Amino acid sequence: MKKLLSLVLVAAMLATLAVSAAGAEELKNLNTYETKARELETWNIHYSQAAADLNVLCNLIDGLLTNDNHGNLKLNAAKSYESPDGGKTWVFTLNEGMTWFDKDGNVQADVKASDWATGLEWVLNYAKNDSYNASMPMEMIAGAEEYYNYTKELTESEGADAVKALDAGEGSKFAETVGIVCDDEAGTITYTLVDQLPYFPSVATYNCLYPLSAELIEEIGVDGYRDITWEDLWYSGAYVISYYEYTNQKVFTKSPNYWNDANCKRFDTVTVKMVDSASVAFQLFKNGELDHVSLDQATLQGIYNGTSDAEYKDYLVEARPTKYSYQIHLVYSKNLEDGETPDVNWNTAIANENFRKSLYYGLDLTNYLARTNAINPLSCQNYVYTGNGVAFTSDGTDYTQLVRNELGLEYNYESYVRYNPELAAEYKAKAIEELTAKGVTFPVTVDYYISGSSDVAAQTAKVLENIFSTCLGDDYVVLKTNTYVSSLANEVRKPRKASIYINGWGADFADPINFLGQETYNDTAAYYSNAYSNCNDNDDPDLIAAYQEFTDLVIAAKAITDDMDARYAAFAKAEACFLNHALVIPCSYEVGWELTKINNYSKVYSMYGMQAYRYVDWEAQAEPYTTEEMAALAAAYAAE
Amino acid sequence: MIKYILKRLFQSLIVVLLVVCVVFFLLRMMPSDYFFTEDELIKFTEAQKYAKLERLGLMQICANCEGKGMVGDEACPVCRESPQAAKGTGYVNRSVLAQLGDFFGDMLQMRVFNAKGKEVKTIEPVSLIPYLSQKLNGQDPFEGSMKDGYSVRMMFNLGKSIRLEKNQYVTDVIAAKMSVSLGIGLVSLAISLVLGVVLGVLQARYKDKLFDHIGTGYTVVVNAVPRLVIYTIIMIAGATLLGLPMRYDATAKDPWLTMVLPVICLSIGSTAGYMLWTRRYMVDELNKDYIRLAKLKGLSDRKVMFRHVLKNAFVPLAQYLPYSILLTVGGSLLVETFFAVPGMGPELTTAISRYDLNLVQGIVLLYASMGIIGVFLGDLLMTVIDPRIKLTGKGDVR
Repeated sequence: MKKLLSLVLVAAMLATLAVSAAGAEELKNLNTYETKARELETWNIHYSQAAADLNVLCNLIDGLLTNDNHGNLKLNAAKSYESPDGGKTWVFTLNEGMTWFDKDGNVQADVKASDWATGLEWVLNYAKNDSYNASMPMEMIAGAEEYYNYTKELTESEGADAVKALDAGEGSKFAETVGIVCDDEAGTITYTLVDQLPYFPSVATYNCLYPLSAELIEEIGVDGYRDITWEDLWYSGAYVISYYEYTNQKVFTKSPNYWNDANCKRFDTVTVKMVDSASVAFQLFKNGELDHVSLDQATLQGIYNGTSDAEYKDYLVEARPTKYSYQIHLVYSKNLEDGETPDVNWNTAIANENFRKSLYYGLDLTNYLARTNAINPLSCQNYVYTGNGVAFTSDGTDYTQLVRNELGLEYNYESYVRYNPELAAEYKAKAIEELTAKGVTFPVTVDYYISGSSDVAAQTAKVLENIFSTCLGDDYVVLKTNTYVSSLANEVRKPRKASIYINGWGADFADPINFLGQETYNDTAAYYSNAYSNCNDNDDPDLIAAYQEFTDLVIAAKAITDDMDARYAAFAKAEACFLNHALVIPCSYEVGWELTKINNYSKVYSMYGMQAYRYVDWEAQAEPYTTEEMAALAAAYAAE
Repeated sequence: MIKYILKRLFQSLIVVLLVVCVVFFLLRMMPSDYFFTEDELIKFTEAQKYAKLERLGLMQICANCEGKGMVGDEACPVCRESPQAAKGTGYVNRSVLAQLGDFFGDMLQMRVFNAKGKEVKTIEPVSLIPYLSQKLNGQDPFEGSMKDGYSVRMMFNLGKSIRLEKNQYVTDVIAAKMSVSLGIGLVSLAISLVLGVVLGVLQARYKDKLFDHIGTGYTVVVNAVPRLVIYTIIMIAGATLLGLPMRYDATAKDPWLTMVLPVICLSIGSTAGYMLWTRRYMVDELNKDYIRLAKLKGLSDRKVMFRHVLKNAFVPLAQYLPYSILLTVGGSLLVETFFAVPGMGPELTTAISRYDLNLVQGIVLLYASMGIIGVFLGDLLMTVIDPRIKLTGKGDVR
């Protein structure tokens, strides 16, 4: 009966959609925006690790693979790919007829398999690319680390010019060392990896494996490519840049001789306007100068409550979650305000599992989530570490569902499920007893840092202070908000002045290791362990044991490469162990509200990598979608 | 006069050099970590960080260990950061004077372009003499490494941007921004000058009448109400009532329409300024004896106002005219930010906040030069309009 009802509902929504879509004019020229802080810094796709750059560049050059609107891998420059040996060797076969062209569409050269070798050589060459994007290939591709070290040592001994002269040609050191073989005749690129890595195809969507034409390097030189601008760039993607004015706007025009023109849908132009703030963007949307706008909380509440711009109420659309999974990162080796003296009180308290669990179960973050989504705060609830949609089991189950099953936590859109005041009170009592014996004084101060220039951050911090105070009591912990001037890294993270950080991680490729690998113990490659939690510097034996248990489980899960379901199940156990020890506190997802003329469910939806801003196969109409229309699209999407 | 001009130019040059040197030294006092992004600070190895600082010219390879960090089996004593370190960094700080020398030394640079006009390399100043001597002797300075059709051009160089427009020449970045600011600035200056002077004259002519009160009210409101409020009102009113675009867009069907609101905002304050000062100088002049005499002699009001009063009243205004014209190059921080005009206005503050050394130095050099040249030209213009004013000579000179 339930199934029948939902089918009827979907059918009704589809009917609504069909009626409205019939009258809607298709949008040919998209006007979108970015805030000025997210302006592009380089046009060199290999030289960038910034999302602001890659959101632009993914439209200009085609990688081997991309993603579809459900997040599945989709063929792009490659027409097929396979692994003949269960994941250690991967062979990608290129489409025919792909070309490099300049901004005016003039063909410059054919896209060849060897362009991928040239691109990888550039990434791994210390003198050419300053180690940007080198870490993933070094970890995964056979010989990549060796070649990187070779170029680095050669730079030190022979100077940068000698190393810049290296290439990926036949008989080169690169060809001898690195596990990539390109056959221009057959159009195949064969990667040999350090191990069986079943998720490697998802890495092929990322810029570290993007092509580079050797002819372009020959034409403009190594320094010329490193400093390249949109005017000199060779394009192979769906769009070229036809206009760019720093901090003003960039105009993408569909490439005139795109190899895949017949099989994809593109806008005639996409104009990305740089704006100062969400409120300016809203004014531009009202004025018809933008085709979508994410709403700040003040504007959203004004529309929702009918106090201002009420005419937009029927057009409010809840956005889809971004790829970032936000966590409250706990710092295990913190210093006092002077940045040098260890904060023994905090370091001792946070190493205590009961203390951590009292925070884990004792914080009802609903009001904090409302800072991101005032209408449906619980849309932002997050109880796991890994982001949604990164990996799926063979029956299509999201990996994070496995983790939630292990934790016994399921999303409930009526209350904040993890909040358990009774359990928190038990842990609190135990923590007070154990920590008092160790000389910890209460209340324990939780130093939290925000940018001094951000009013929004200050208001959010105030909400967080209230949550700590109300849920845990001022006699136990006190959240103290401090500010930094311009650099969190320099002013806070390096001197280790914060007790907690709230920040999000977005995956680079489709495997839980990309999340969990950032938190392992005694691992120099673990980003958060080294840069945020400083867990390696706390010598509490219980804390070390908890971290070690988690790390061992991660290593065991990582070793499973022949059965993906078993691999994900093992990772889910590791993640549950991590969270059950409350080594980190999952916090939120980003789900805001917007007004839009774009069908959110037609867009590339990738929860990892850099393909989400590829303006290909997007549907958009001349009038904003109503709430109902978008709900119908969502239902149709879910039924696909 | 020539002697005076040369003297002023020389003084100006010294002042510009001093300003640039002060900024140069101040920028070098910042902690080196500020030259890295948040991601770079975490993801870069120490060696990468030092290599980047070397590229920025802030550090140099240690001569003692030649960058190896070791002398034999011992840590290099010159580049070792702490007595406990097992290895030196391989890099040492570069003297600020040497950096300053590079800054001025590299100001003229030769760039090599291929047949398609794309720059492929630069010739450092130290290689200039060998390059020129080989060229003069009919030899190929590039020993066949360059394809036919290359060309070499001498360019003014202030280094490359390290953050905002990564690796682009500061001169190119400034030139692009300057042209936008200059266009909008000159139009608004012309409007405000014409409007301000005409309305100021009318205010003086109808002193203490309704028109004068309205004009005074306008100047008071413009100066009293925060500019941001005025700009917001103009933006919303312009967009909703007149349907004008809210942001600058050079690709729009009618690009000039997108400049209307920024030009209005830029003009509104300076018009009030010109009105205020024109009225004041005019009223001052109107009260002088020679004007009364002229009126007594039967000269018409119009002749008195334009031939005598305005001419004399305009002299102090004219002094600041060249400065105002040159100032348009610098754009307006507020207006350009508000209307997304890609001009010079926000560039200095953005460059400072992102620690873009070369860009900050370049912009400071530009602003200092403009300021000094503007005042100098103002003095000269005054002497042209009022020949009684002497800039040289003994006694009663400026």
